[in-house]
Amino acid sequence: MTLDRAFHFSSLLLAAVAFTGLVLTGEIPAGLVMLGLAALTVTIARAIGWGGERLVGRIAGLPASAWTVLLVAVFVSFGIDLMLISRDILPAAVHFLILLMVVKLFHLQHRKDFLQLYAISLSELLAAAALTVDLWYAGVFIAYIFAAIWTLILYHLRTESEEVHTGPAPIARPVTRQFFWTTNGIAVGSFCLTLVIFFLIPRIGAGFFQKSRTELIRTSGFSEKVDLGVIGAVKLDPTVVMRIEFPDVRGPVTDALYFRGAAYDTYDGRSWGNRSATRRTLERTADGAFLVSTPQAAAAAESGGLRQEILIEALDTTVLFGASFVESIKGGFQIVQVDGVGGLYLPYPTSARFQYSVRSIPDRLREPDRTAESVSYPDLVTKRFLQLPDVSPRVGALAREVVGAARAPYERALAVERHLRQNYQYSLDVGTSVSASPVEDFLFTRKTGYCEHYATAMVVMLRTLGIPARLVTGFLPGVWNDFGNYYSVRQQDAHAWVEVYFPGSGWVTFDPTPNVPAAAPSFFSRAGKVVDSIRLKWDRYVVQYSFRDQMAAASSLREGGEKVRTEVSGLLSALTRGLASVKAWLTESARAYGGFLLGCLAVGALVVGAVLVWCRRGGGTQSADPRTARQVAAIHLYERMLRILESQGLLKPPGATPLEFARQVARERGEAAPYVGPLTGLYCRVRFGQAPFSPDDDRQAQALLAGLQAARRSAQAGLSLTG
Amino acid sequence: MRLERIREFFRRFYRYRSLRVTTEGVRFLLLTLAIGMAALNTGNNLLYLLLAMMLSLIVMSGILSEQCLRHLVIRRVIPDNVFANSPATVTLTVANRHPRLPSFSLRVLDIVDGKAVDRGIHILHLPAGASVSQSYPVLYTRRGRHRIEGVKIQTRFPFGLFIKAANLFLSSDLVVYPALRLLPESLVHDLTVLGHDQAVSKRGPGSGLYNLREYRHGDDSRTIHWKTTARQSRLIVRETETEDLRQVTLALPTAVPSGRAPECFEQAVSLTASLAVHFQRQGFASRLLVGEQEVPHGTGEPHLHRMLHELALCEPGPVRQSETATPDGFRTLADRTTHGELTIVVLPWPDPVIEAACRGVSRLVPAWETP
Repeated sequence: MTLDRAFHFSSLLLAAVAFTGLVLTGEIPAGLVMLGLAALTVTIARAIGWGGERLVGRIAGLPASAWTVLLVAVFVSFGIDLMLISRDILPAAVHFLILLMVVKLFHLQHRKDFLQLYAISLSELLAAAALTVDLWYAGVFIAYIFAAIWTLILYHLRTESEEVHTGPAPIARPVTRQFFWTTNGIAVGSFCLTLVIFFLIPRIGAGFFQKSRTELIRTSGFSEKVDLGVIGAVKLDPTVVMRIEFPDVRGPVTDALYFRGAAYDTYDGRSWGNRSATRRTLERTADGAFLVSTPQAAAAAESGGLRQEILIEALDTTVLFGASFVESIKGGFQIVQVDGVGGLYLPYPTSARFQYSVRSIPDRLREPDRTAESVSYPDLVTKRFLQLPDVSPRVGALAREVVGAARAPYERALAVERHLRQNYQYSLDVGTSVSASPVEDFLFTRKTGYCEHYATAMVVMLRTLGIPARLVTGFLPGVWNDFGNYYSVRQQDAHAWVEVYFPGSGWVTFDPTPNVPAAAPSFFSRAGKVVDSIRLKWDRYVVQYSFRDQMAAASSLREGGEKVRTEVSGLLSALTRGLASVKAWLTESARAYGGFLLGCLAVGALVVGAVLVWCRRGGGTQSADPRTARQVAAIHLYERMLRILESQGLLKPPGATPLEFARQVARERGEAAPYVGPLTGLYCRVRFGQAPFSPDDDRQAQALLAGLQAARRSAQAGLSLTG
Repeated sequence: MRLERIREFFRRFYRYRSLRVTTEGVRFLLLTLAIGMAALNTGNNLLYLLLAMMLSLIVMSGILSEQCLRHLVIRRVIPDNVFANSPATVTLTVANRHPRLPSFSLRVLDIVDGKAVDRGIHILHLPAGASVSQSYPVLYTRRGRHRIEGVKIQTRFPFGLFIKAANLFLSSDLVVYPALRLLPESLVHDLTVLGHDQAVSKRGPGSGLYNLREYRHGDDSRTIHWKTTARQSRLIVRETETEDLRQVTLALPTAVPSGRAPECFEQAVSLTASLAVHFQRQGFASRLLVGEQEVPHGTGEPHLHRMLHELALCEPGPVRQSETATPDGFRTLADRTTHGELTIVVLPWPDPVIEAACRGVSRLVPAWETP
């Protein structure tokens, strides 16, 4: 392929990459996609010689007036699109860009046509950046950089060839292997530089005119009122809702984890609600964290807490998730609210994925609560968490039967949990018929269900026994991604469980749902983990990269520097200590064996001196440098002369002989000639004529060099005076 | 102090390098600015990514163009004899001393009087370790000393966004000889006649014909005149006329008489140079008097160049204050004429003093009357 053909091809490829970026956003109507695709296919096929000449030639051969009409039509269609169809500037502009690209693809005649095509392609990439933040954009971006580097270099060579009409045009030559790899090397270099600059540009964006176009993920089970069975609808949805990292833990967390979302205190027989839905705003600390007051907070000092970094997708709920129980939360938000049952909320749903940090204190049952039989609960708790709908006495009878002789509330709760786990079957297939009493239906009739049924049944059974309990919805940790060291939480990990109140310990988590065996890992699931890990990094380090990250990186660099400094200073002090101890030993030894030590030192010095002399004389072996010492001395003198001349702007051309160069100096710097001529003569005699280099010669050469230096200084002084 | 050092660094840097933005570069920078504004406004990191790409292209542009300009060695070859109003060919050799990387899109310009002069030298591709020579014509309209101060090498590689230039100190001094002109036929004829009249024929080493005679034993066989030998069927040798006596003195007064402008001086210089060339071709031993300066008798190309060099650098002298201030060389011309030497005085302007002093010379040539 010639460079000229490569230029056409890379120009079209640039447009194709940008167009692909737009298409992958999914915001382009099918008709426009087909039109753009057809235009690109035909023109690229023609560029690489696969046909299409006739069609492209016929279209390109349209008269100028036809092109003008076409362009006017494109502009009119943009107006109509903006006013009547899309009614939004961004989609209308994107449609306009595609039409413009199609017109330009068939009308690439002059230099400016190519430049316009490049501008259109860049605008398309910009539009794609505004429409998406997905991982595929990274691929499109990398491809665009490569295509852009090829195109710009070839465009430049073509322009230069057109301007210079001498000799064979390089653009007509084939693409050589060296050119191919050089250009790709430049592209790789540009890409690396792009990354460096990207991370260094200060993020001071205010986001004034930003308008999100991200679709929110629909979730179930976190609204103010939750119908029994809604979670089942999302238990087959593999959409990732959040990714959770544990900065202080290596590998997956071994303890049972429940990412708490909303909690409910009131059950009406079919749905759960919250009588304590009134939210209050949490106070913000000096470091930007929001502290959640919980009974578990007291245990924080003992346990140390569990830190989580949560990257959450744009959900249709305002609930903030965190491992039970959240002690503090910190992120890029201004307000966090909490309701009466410990649910954390943002004031409004976010339109894009965001990241926040959570510190949780796991629940811990105190010993007295484990065995205490007579328990008195606060009125507030009994009033809210012992509420029961109109349930059949069979439920209470079953509860009493299950707990048997157990008297302590904790033992009773464990018994109910065990009973449900062991005697009921987990299934998402519970039929579509709406039951009048789902709990009784689950406990006595179907005996199959999923987390909501289990948790509701347990709460109802405990309440019939006079034990305060509530239903909590949230997520299980999902799948551990060992490539990225994080949990990937999907919609299907939505879960419901139970929290039971103990006066000394607060709320303690119970999960009556039996474990569902996980599917065996397949090749695709492992590949999916890799992709998901890359996606997380893309989100974390590109899409979500912020000023906060830059500050963190700067501070870690500073800390790293301080660490190195500390280590070096430690090393130096160790060295000093070592030397001091050696000195002390020598002093001690000198006192004891003075004469012997002195003798040893003298012998050692002699041996070292002899070795040095031997090495200097060539080590007794044939020297690799065949030049004699006097030749080397002459070369050094000549090199000094060359350096002096170089500082005057007189560089010895590599092809010039010493005598030629001396003549050049005489021509161009007459004042240096009286020194350069004799020095060059001496150099040639010694270097090439095997003449002796006597001390007189050396003195004379030194004097000439000094004279040359003086001449240079006086010339510079003259220049500065005239300047 | 530190500020001064930084300033000095930049001063030195820009002495050797300069950067200019092309039209495409201006558009590119504006586009980069627009993307930067959009990124700042929206806080969209993907726009920051695009901004970083644009900035990286600018940085790569700087790095690669610098790479193109480094390791270049340039040599200029100027012909020895350059005459005014006569084109001469200068050759520039550009060598890429980099062991691996080629250079692209090089334009080489001469720096004359502090300005870059485009000689039309474009080198689109210079492979690693290769060199290329390109010639260009130069035309000087003015005789005298000229200087090419250096060379400016420009490149727009790789993207054509910027023109980076490197200034190299490659100064060349040259002396442009006066323009040569065609001598009027009448003058040439007169000079030929005068030359014969003034010549005293004598056998001796030279190039002119003195006599043809029969070959004698001991004659150099290279002197045999073969045409005549063939015609007469006997060996005839050619005897040459000694050149010692074919001498000419060309004199050009430079002192401007009071009340006269030196308007025809250049014409007179050009005429003198043309006469010098004419007599050199005729085999005369020439001597040149230019004002107070004298180039003694001599023959051959080097001597001619000495005379032309003198003529290239001569200038009209200051206005003569006294009548007796005629240079000594001019006053002895008449004596030389009587001793058989051809003496020619080229007058740049009517000058009675010089005319009186040079009474008796072979020929006074008024430059203003010579077409």
